[in-house]
Amino acid sequence: MDINSMYIAVVLNSTIRLMTPILFVALGSALCNRVFIFNIGLEGMMLTGAFFAIVANHYTGSVVLSLLAAMISSMLVAWVAGIFMVKFKGAMLVVGVSINVLMLGLTTFLMQILFGVKGAYVSNDLVSLPKVNVDFLAGAPFFQTLFGSLTYLDYFAFVVAIILYFYLFRTVSGFRLRSVGLNKIASESLGIKAERIQIATITFSGLLSGLGGSLLTMGGVTMFAQNITSGRGFIALAAGTLGSAHPLGVVLSSSFFGLAQSIGNTMQNTAVSSQLAMATPYAATILALALYNYLQIKRGANLDQ
Amino acid sequence: MLLRMDNIVKKYGDLVANDKVNLTLNKGEILAVIGENGAGKTTLMKVLYGLEQPTSGTIVINGEEIQIKDANQAIKNGIGMVQQHFMLFETFNVTENIVYGKEPRKGVFFDLERAKRDVKKISQEYELPLDPERGIAGMPVGLRQRVEILKVLYQNSDIIIFDEPTAVLTPQEVKELLKTLKQLAKMGKSIIIITHKLYEVMSVADRAMVMRAGEVVADVRIEDTTAEELSFLMVGRHLIEQKIPEKEVGQVLLNVEDLCLADEHGSTILKDVNIHVKSGEIVGVAGVSGNGQTELVECLFGLRKAVTGSISLKEKNLFNKSVKFIRKAGISLVPEDRYIWGSAIEATLYESAIMGHYAKPEISSKGMISGKKAIEFTQQIIRDFGVKAETAEQTVGSLSGGNAQKLIVGREIKQDTPLLIVAEPTRGVDVGAMEAIHDKIIEKRMNGDGVLLVSSELSEIIKLSDRIYVMYEGEINGELFKETMDEEEIGVLMAGGRKHAEN
Repeated sequence: MDINSMYIAVVLNSTIRLMTPILFVALGSALCNRVFIFNIGLEGMMLTGAFFAIVANHYTGSVVLSLLAAMISSMLVAWVAGIFMVKFKGAMLVVGVSINVLMLGLTTFLMQILFGVKGAYVSNDLVSLPKVNVDFLAGAPFFQTLFGSLTYLDYFAFVVAIILYFYLFRTVSGFRLRSVGLNKIASESLGIKAERIQIATITFSGLLSGLGGSLLTMGGVTMFAQNITSGRGFIALAAGTLGSAHPLGVVLSSSFFGLAQSIGNTMQNTAVSSQLAMATPYAATILALALYNYLQIKRGANLDQ
Repeated sequence: MLLRMDNIVKKYGDLVANDKVNLTLNKGEILAVIGENGAGKTTLMKVLYGLEQPTSGTIVINGEEIQIKDANQAIKNGIGMVQQHFMLFETFNVTENIVYGKEPRKGVFFDLERAKRDVKKISQEYELPLDPERGIAGMPVGLRQRVEILKVLYQNSDIIIFDEPTAVLTPQEVKELLKTLKQLAKMGKSIIIITHKLYEVMSVADRAMVMRAGEVVADVRIEDTTAEELSFLMVGRHLIEQKIPEKEVGQVLLNVEDLCLADEHGSTILKDVNIHVKSGEIVGVAGVSGNGQTELVECLFGLRKAVTGSISLKEKNLFNKSVKFIRKAGISLVPEDRYIWGSAIEATLYESAIMGHYAKPEISSKGMISGKKAIEFTQQIIRDFGVKAETAEQTVGSLSGGNAQKLIVGREIKQDTPLLIVAEPTRGVDVGAMEAIHDKIIEKRMNGDGVLLVSSELSEIIKLSDRIYVMYEGEINGELFKETMDEEEIGVLMAGGRKHAEN
């Protein structure tokens, strides 16, 4: 096993670990796109899940209860956002940004109240997500490194993507969900409860964001820090668009952002200034979106001819 | 009797859209519900299809009183609707669109194969051929409508509502559709068709129900009526006698030759329109609304680009020029809808009154509007045109419809242009305001200016005009002079009569 392929295995492994939190949230974003909702509040929902996973973890020490707390808390926040966006026709951008600001403040505040710390909460009593044992790959060090130290939840992200693919394109319920985003008025004219579907979709995107958030606080490291999501919700939003709101496309776009982040992390150990290295994933986001839109426009122009 | 709607009342705030409307429908019958825009036809159908809830009244199907709370319940009760604006999903194919809402399933999965077979079956059964796998995008309008019809048939509807089904179709497609309607009725479906095209009513319907201002004014069997009678029932025929002083006409002001206009899909809207207006003359453009009058005004005023033809004012070319250029050349316009185009409903009276005047020295200098001058200017209009308002600083929306209209008419007459175009100047205003506006239009003519009056209110046209053009399906279907004007003849022309007699 030469050093180069080992290096590749390490980068790919960190890519997977960095992409799965984004993937969960990006799948939620893709679903929202499909019902014509631009859910910018995903960042705040992810943060909610990340925080309440640690809260439940602190009080119960149970992985299952932590995950449940993450899913339920961010689902509730998403449900409220959905009511405001759909039922009360609030501007999506305003509702979303409010959720983000509110949850950033609330989690920071509650961290001080509940844990009595500022900035970050770490404790030896916190349990982390169980990791999948890959000792049987000991004979193949490349694969052992590639699939090493991944949690069950990391794998589950990919399973969710596949399930959603079948849901959207093979089931009646998925068909109706897609139709709402295409032409809400038409779907309502045939007696479909479009608004109910929209709110349910936003709520479900909250559940996925909660899972993504709990991967941040109970996956690689087990801790909560103020604003621990640091823009991953926004990156997921971009990944949702970049993946054409298609579950499998979203896997690809999320892996791209995971890779960008992994490279950014690696660059911090080199001569490149660390600020520049930290900016890599965000710069990649902008570049990727610009390129994507450019290609879309070009394709549109070709279709016109 | 299959369907009965009894004493349906629908109010939106103070506005009564449907006033004690009764409707009946038998099995296998084609009922035409006709009336002008805003007569309440669409509201009535929305009530039937569950999109609106009636304020009071009952709906009885097969002898049983039912509540229709939403489209779902309408569909369950065998009522289907082919909407005017098609309700299709562009990126789905024909099958997916047709089975939508009642998809065949295999467990939780969508059984596309069975859906395709079902669609093929009903398309053969009703002789409406369509490729089940074809996408909707790029499909011509006639075929899209066919998808809509199949959708309703797939839902097993016994009562099918068609909302202005021919509005978007080409003449060939219209023929096809009328044939389909007859076929469906023969197969036992009951059909309600909403329209204001009388030719279609006469050729396809068994019975016609005429609505006007929210009420049913007639319910007649087709063999007992004529297109002319229906057109009069639609527009109303109450005439107010008023002597209008004689006036020598002068030179030609507006001259329009062979004007043609098409919409973005290439369908003809105006065809070879030839009209002129002389100074000292009020020229009326009559017709059932929706026959190209709105678009004609838009072309004359530069709001829409025509395809070919010529438009000139005092021999100055105005064809496809900008609105600013046309206003400067000497045309002013009282637009059709006072709140959408005529004024800014949230703005103050003086802000709405100086629109089009703001750059003049009476109002502004060096690009700065003088508030004092603007208010003085507005107060002058309020006085001269009898606008009932408290101050020049209240909002336009706080005025009654008639007073808002007087403000707009005043503003445009104050432009003092040789030609004034007025579109539907008294739609929805009270009698007092109507008289006042008519007097101002006559006064404009007595000053030796020309007026082009576009109105779907026939009594208004007959009262004011020295000369009348009748529009039908985008063409001038006849020209009449005051001395020899005959109501009967206008009715025939408005219904497309003479044209079809020639065919």
